[in-house]
Amino acid sequence: MNFDEIQQVWGRQDAGGSITLNTNLLLKEVRRNQRQFESTIFWRDFRESGVAMCLVYLFGRAWVQQEDWTYGLLALACFGVGLFILVDRLRQRRRRPMMEDSLRRCLLTSLEQVRHQIWLLRNVFWWYQLPLLIPYFISILHEAVSVKSVLIQGFVIALANWGIYLLNQSAVSKSLEPRERELEALLSSLDEVPSSDHG
Amino acid sequence: MKLAEQEQLFCQWLTAHRGLLWRVVRAFASDAPDQEDLFQEILLQLWCSVPTFRGNSKESTWIYRLAFNTALVWQRGEKRRRRKHEAFTLHAVGASEETASSGRSEQEVRLECLYSAIRELPRLDASLALMLLDGLSYRQMGEVLGISENHVGVRLHRIRKQLTERLKGQADEF
Repeated sequence: MNFDEIQQVWGRQDAGGSITLNTNLLLKEVRRNQRQFESTIFWRDFRESGVAMCLVYLFGRAWVQQEDWTYGLLALACFGVGLFILVDRLRQRRRRPMMEDSLRRCLLTSLEQVRHQIWLLRNVFWWYQLPLLIPYFISILHEAVSVKSVLIQGFVIALANWGIYLLNQSAVSKSLEPRERELEALLSSLDEVPSSDHG
Repeated sequence: MKLAEQEQLFCQWLTAHRGLLWRVVRAFASDAPDQEDLFQEILLQLWCSVPTFRGNSKESTWIYRLAFNTALVWQRGEKRRRRKHEAFTLHAVGASEETASSGRSEQEVRLECLYSAIRELPRLDASLALMLLDGLSYRQMGEVLGISENHVGVRLHRIRKQLTERLKGQADEF
C-alpha cells in the first residue's frame, strides 16, 4: 500500500457517524468519575494525615492523664509528620498537569510529580520513620523494665521499619522509575529532530 | 462558567468531535478494556477543561491537544480507577445486516491493520500520524504538540515511510 492508498482507507472511515454516543449518560458518567476521583484524593489525604492526627490525640491524652513527657514527644512527632504529609499533598495538588496545556508543559508537570514521589519514597526514612522512631525509642528507654526487653522491642521495631523502607524502595524501582524514564523519553523525543532521509 | 453552560459545551464537543476522540483512543489502545479506560480518561479531562477554554484556539486544536496529552501520559493496563456505575453506550458499529458487503468488512480489516501500524509507532509519531491522516496542516500539528513546523515536516517524512513499509505486505492479502 502506498501512502495515497493508506489515506484512502483512512478517509473511508466514517467521520463519527457510525459511533453512537448517549451524551446524557456519558455526562452522568463523567461527573460521577470526577466526584469519585476527588473523593479518592480526599480520603487518601484524610487517611494519611488523619491517622497521624488521631495518634496525636491519643498520645496527647496519655501525656496529660499519665503525666509522662515521653507521650508528649510522641504526640509532637506524629503532629509533625501529619503536618508534613498534609502540606505536601496540598502543594502537589496545585501542581497537577492540565491536559489542555502544551504537551511539553504537560509532560514536565507529570515528570515533576513522579520525581517528587520518588524523592518522598527514597527519603521516607528521614521524614517519616526517623521522626517517629526517636521518640519511640526514648519512651522505651524511659519505661525500660530490663535491658533485654529494650533490646527485643528495639529489634522488632527496627526490623518492621526495615521492611517498610524496603517496600517503599521497591515501589520506586518497579513503578516510579520506569514511569520517570518513560516520561523523560517522551520529553526528549519532542526535542529530537530526526535527520531527513534522502531518497 | 455556570454548570449548565459547561454541560452544554461538553455535549456539543462530544457530538461534534466524537470521531476524533474515538480515533485517538483506537490509535493508543488496542483492546476493548484499555480503549474504554482511555476513552473515559479523555472524557474526564475534556469535562474538566471546559471551564478553562477561552476560545484562543480552535476547538479542534484544543481537543486534539487534550486527547493526545491524555493518551500520551496514560498508562496502559494500570489499575482501573474508573469503576463503571453504568456501562455507557459506545458502539463502533460495523456493517448492518442490510448493508453488509465484503468490501466494507475488507475496509474494516484494512483500517484495523492501519491502526495497528500506528500503535507500533513511537507515541509522539502516532499523534502526528493521526493528524496527518486527518489532514491537519503542519502549522496546526505544530500548535497541537508544541513543536516547530520544520520538526513536524521531518518527522512526517519518516512516519509516511514507516507506515508504508509496515503495511506493504498487507496489500497483497486483499
